Amino acid sequence: MVAIVGPLLAPYDPTAINIPKRLAAPSAEFPLGTDALGRDILSRLLYGARWSLGLALVVSLIGLCVGTVIGLVAALGGRIADWAVMRTTDTFLAFPELVAAVVIAGLMGAGTWSLIFALSVTGWMRYARVARGIGLSLRTRGYVVQAKLAGLSPLAVARWHYLPSLVPSLTVVWTGMFARAILGISALGFLGFGVQPPTPEWGTMLLDARVHMRSTPLQMVWPGLAVVTCVLAINLAGDALRDALATEEHAG
Amino acid sequence: MTRTLAGLLLRAVVVLAGTALITFALLWNAPGDPAQAIALARFDALLTEDVVELVREEAGLNTGFWTAFWGWVGPLLTLDFGRSAVTGRPVWPDLWTSITYTFPLALAGLAVGLALALPLAFLATRRPGGVVDRVAVAVASLGAAIPAYWLGLLLILVFAVHLAVLPAMGARTPAHAILPAVTLGLGVAASLTRIIRSGILEARGQLFLPALRRRGVAPGAIGRDHVAPHAAIPVVTVFGLELAFLLEGTVMVEVIFGRPGLGTFLVDAIEARDFPQVQAVVILMALLFVTVNLIIDLIYRAVDPRIGAHDA
Amino acid sequence: MLSVEGVWARRGGAVALEDVSLTLAPGQTLAIVGESGAGKSSLIAAILGFLPLWKGRISWDGAPVRACRPALVMQEPRAAFNPAHRLRRSVLEPVQGVPVERLRRLCEGLELSEDVLDRRPGEVSIGQAQRVGILRALIASPPLVLFDEPLSALDAMTQKHTARLIAELQREEGFAALIVTHDLGYAVAQADEIAVLRRGKIEEIAPPDVVAQAPRSAYCQTLRTAAISLGALEA
Repeated sequence: MVAIVGPLLAPYDPTAINIPKRLAAPSAEFPLGTDALGRDILSRLLYGARWSLGLALVVSLIGLCVGTVIGLVAALGGRIADWAVMRTTDTFLAFPELVAAVVIAGLMGAGTWSLIFALSVTGWMRYARVARGIGLSLRTRGYVVQAKLAGLSPLAVARWHYLPSLVPSLTVVWTGMFARAILGISALGFLGFGVQPPTPEWGTMLLDARVHMRSTPLQMVWPGLAVVTCVLAINLAGDALRDALATEEHAG
Repeated sequence: MTRTLAGLLLRAVVVLAGTALITFALLWNAPGDPAQAIALARFDALLTEDVVELVREEAGLNTGFWTAFWGWVGPLLTLDFGRSAVTGRPVWPDLWTSITYTFPLALAGLAVGLALALPLAFLATRRPGGVVDRVAVAVASLGAAIPAYWLGLLLILVFAVHLAVLPAMGARTPAHAILPAVTLGLGVAASLTRIIRSGILEARGQLFLPALRRRGVAPGAIGRDHVAPHAAIPVVTVFGLELAFLLEGTVMVEVIFGRPGLGTFLVDAIEARDFPQVQAVVILMALLFVTVNLIIDLIYRAVDPRIGAHDA
Repeated sequence: MLSVEGVWARRGGAVALEDVSLTLAPGQTLAIVGESGAGKSSLIAAILGFLPLWKGRISWDGAPVRACRPALVMQEPRAAFNPAHRLRRSVLEPVQGVPVERLRRLCEGLELSEDVLDRRPGEVSIGQAQRVGILRALIASPPLVLFDEPLSALDAMTQKHTARLIAELQREEGFAALIVTHDLGYAVAQADEIAVLRRGKIEEIAPPDVVAQAPRSAYCQTLRTAAISLGALEA
């Protein structure tokens, strides 16, 4: 099953591209055709991978770091810190992530940075919950107590004794969030709030294609297909990962 | 019981307050001059420095943060959403109109989703691991990966453009709602199928079921009295989460199909920097969310001891 | 010197320790004896600062106990070690750098060959794991070592062996030992003084021969009778 990650790597090939941009009338000579400005769709698709996937990666990793830290603070910090963090998490969760992202990105003005900010701010909560849960259960483990007695700083304890146990579960959460980020970035791109033209990005490509829906309907198919394939691949990989971890737990 | 209720209510209030604060802070600190944006939306060609100043004062944008915040929250507690900074009309009536468009659509989408998911999940679990089951899971996974806007576009392409069977844009007739509802429903069905399926499988796996069968309890009765209630619990809980997706999806679908509703209301308000309107939508959604989650929490706790189910 | 004065502590809403007072001088061994649930673990937690005190005071030479870097030997030997790290790494956690000579001497004293340290916690026997636990406790030469049921997880033969090693090391190193145990026989054999804990209260503090022969409190007498019938204590 993990072999399905293959198609994920294939589109992400920014080197094997011919001249990416050229102004000309629409035609069907290029492998996937050209868009309204004569740009080769295939190339845009491949370059777009860097944006749609790359940004999604950045966003999900930021969420991972922020969420983990927050979750650990809740687990290690004492009852008041825990309560405060949990309420904050609830507050952020009280909102459909995408709508919040739309609001934030919209208000901050379109552009890559507001996109990253909006999606990160709405994406850290799941990690925090998981990190907190695991952190709380680890707190009473023998070796954690020993480490504290040995005089290790809280940071060192977190680094050496908490983090390794967190990694498996957090990775599973991350795969899900990565997929969501891809969907989120292209959604915001489609709404015009995300990456700006002429940068190729799958969502914005769909937006462009929509205008010409009647004349060149095929144009609409490719970017969407790219998104679907990637998200599907990641989700499947994530499921496989989750199953693998579960069996390890039973065996170990 | 009252203690838990009080605790949950307190949580809900805190969460709402937090949301209100964050939203307000966000709007307040958004880059760009909101007064200009509002003035532009209102007066367009007549834009001069004086007009901008006038707008600024009218919208209360030149007061301090906390004054403005209380100026908003105060009336809010009496359900007064204020006036639109752009049109000067009260926010609530327009907001309400949007809701009357969005709500039915969301329900329709949910109905479509359930209509697809329930039978599918049932069929799938008749023979776990069998052909139907695996196809169902595959289709559900695929469905979860498809972005709503793409699906919407494709549906428009096929049904509205090529086959010219159904209308695409706008909301003039009930027929206009078919494509959007289906788009929504398919997405919802994808996640619901998986959830219901695993809920049923888990409920089936309960240890006391074989004992019941041996005692001669009819399979129908087992399904009705023991499997269904237990399966319902996780389904109900996740329902609260699904609401988020439903809301997101509806907003997205409205924008795609050019329908009036909360989605377009929000997007337009954002672009015009119409603070009161944006705030109203945000707080409304948060309120909806928190309330639904609260209810689900209560249902969960009430149902729990009766069935003797374990904690999620 | 460890000084516990009038300590009250709560755990999960219930009173875990009620007006507990005891002292432990350097180099001495104090055994805390009691049934399950008597509050022995709570006492250790309180001494080490993991359980907040409601009333009273705990100090070592006038300062908070943690300041003297006390060590703890746990009941479940393997749980004291991070399963992902090799034993050597865990053992050296309390110290900076590698005190080669001390490590060698302690390994000798604990009858451990040094290559045991290159293994992971799951790869050694329970007896070995517990001895490594003691090694880790002593590596930084702490003045106070707490033992939480150090022998409970071991089989009878290993128990005797490990008990002997602990006693020998104490004579050599001179640390103050607080041993929590439900085994009255072990307490009588090893301790300079025995404190009997029951439902969070100290029933009696007395030297081992008093406890073994003629304990004052009724509860202590019951304990003694039980221990004799189990063969842990000679009549």
